[in-house]
Amino acid sequence: MTEPVLSRNFNIPDACMIEVAEKRGAYQTARRAIMTQTPEEIGQAVTASNLRGLGGAGFPTGKKWQFLPKDRTRPVYLVVNADEGEPGTFKDRYILERDPHQLLEGILLAAYAIRCQKAYVYIRGEYVEPWRRLQNALDQATAKKYFGKNIFGTSFSLEVVIHRGAGAYICGEETGLLNSLEGWKGFPRLKPPFPAIVGLFNCPTIMNNVETLSCIPHIVKNGPDWFASLGSPGNGGTHLFSVSGHVNRPGVYEMPMGTPLKEIIEKAGGVRQGHRLKAVIPGGISAKILTADEADVRMDYDSLRAAGTMLGSAGIIVMDETTCMVKALLYATKFFAHESCGQCSPCREGTGWAYKIVKRIYEGKGRMRDLDVLLSVAKGMEGRTICAFADAASWPVQSYILKFRAEFEDYIRRTSSGRD
Amino acid sequence: MSNVSPLDDVRSLDSEAAKILVLYDQKRAAVLPLLRLAQEKAGFVSPEAEAWVSEHTGVPLVHVHEATSFYTMFHVKPHPKHHIRFCCGTSCMLRGSEERLAYLKEKLGVRDGVSSDGLVFVEESECLCACETAPMMQVDDRYVGDLDSAKIDAELDKIRKDAS
Repeated sequence: MTEPVLSRNFNIPDACMIEVAEKRGAYQTARRAIMTQTPEEIGQAVTASNLRGLGGAGFPTGKKWQFLPKDRTRPVYLVVNADEGEPGTFKDRYILERDPHQLLEGILLAAYAIRCQKAYVYIRGEYVEPWRRLQNALDQATAKKYFGKNIFGTSFSLEVVIHRGAGAYICGEETGLLNSLEGWKGFPRLKPPFPAIVGLFNCPTIMNNVETLSCIPHIVKNGPDWFASLGSPGNGGTHLFSVSGHVNRPGVYEMPMGTPLKEIIEKAGGVRQGHRLKAVIPGGISAKILTADEADVRMDYDSLRAAGTMLGSAGIIVMDETTCMVKALLYATKFFAHESCGQCSPCREGTGWAYKIVKRIYEGKGRMRDLDVLLSVAKGMEGRTICAFADAASWPVQSYILKFRAEFEDYIRRTSSGRD
Repeated sequence: MSNVSPLDDVRSLDSEAAKILVLYDQKRAAVLPLLRLAQEKAGFVSPEAEAWVSEHTGVPLVHVHEATSFYTMFHVKPHPKHHIRFCCGTSCMLRGSEERLAYLKEKLGVRDGVSSDGLVFVEESECLCACETAPMMQVDDRYVGDLDSAKIDAELDKIRKDAS
């Protein structure tokens, strides 16, 4: 990759301050586009760019926008999903802290494209410093009249409100977030209707992730063909990969969509000195784990789906040969048991049972048949609930046990004195 | 003894609440921000605060209480002055969070989540999304990463100095 796109300001001191951001070109693209282009032209550019939702689902952004009803009888909302919470993912925090004006310019362009006058940013409650930086950036940009009424002297107006969450992973789910924003518990909603038809306050709503929106100024500035050509077929642009675990230099690395996973691990300094790769989670804790032998994959939505896992949030967790897979699964199942919202029985019960059984194995009281019980609990959750959380909870259970079964069996044999 | 009742106490936030309410196209969306405001003032969300939020937003009290109990960041009873969220995510585990957490708990003499001096609540948190600095924790508002014993000691010193 030649030039960084999304991360170009990450190491510029004070890029979160508007004077610095403006010197680096912030808001110039929005000014030109809003003054000279139609909303439809922006929408067409986004569609042609092959931009896909970078929050985890990978749905084509332009297509999502097209789901809005053509005749408008009610206001349209833009909701920005800044509820970053997928374990192993920290890329949105980098944008919020280091280049919030990039996101705000993306919000401006997206709102213009979908003809929306009010946007809400839902930011994770624990993100205090990122919230301060974003709120400060918004206040500065509003003082410069980049937000408010008659932006750039046109008839376009936009108000942005930053809304802070209060600690619930499920609120990163699109409709759980909408319920939370409306003051309810963060229970996901049955779909259809999809938010583009019935969303916030029962009005048509588009929800996009922080990184997704941050791509839009670059698409509008440099053209959709340029953006599409950065990535792989059908997966436009670059992506911020969060790399953590047993690597020498954990961090956020911007690479083109479709970059080989091993190249990204090398970029992060490679596996710890003197150790070798055992397994890697390619897309946040919800993604199925890959063994070292399976790690020759390209990091885009389609390639990882073909490899039986998913790109998800592009949170890459690297594990070397010192990692105990029973313990790794203990941490994964504990997470899902804690964060299940409790609305659907298969998930509420299943995540709890999975955690309890893995904990029993970990504590040396496991039985060999527990492994099949776990697989059946996982199967019993998958595809049987309102949202995708239960699927996500079942995948680590399935993939860790199926791919490392010998290690699980050996662990049980070593620790639990022949119970069955 | 103060003769200010908890309800009067939360009433002093009325003007701040009004500023929050105008941001939203429907008042009920202000439930979380108002609960947060009340908690920042009192350290926890009292039944009086919930009634106050209900009154401002028109949301039935039972649904306000549902929100208080659903979200992990709200406390329903008086809470120690400082709150440490210790990240127990997978990435932090891979980089030694268990040993660091054990060290922190021992230094503080934590029982049932509270330090022996009553100043600090220690929560074992799910992923705080700062895995590049694993193992890490959040001390009140601040993220503190690349934890070793010295860094943990320094944070605890700050808390003690703040108390004395």
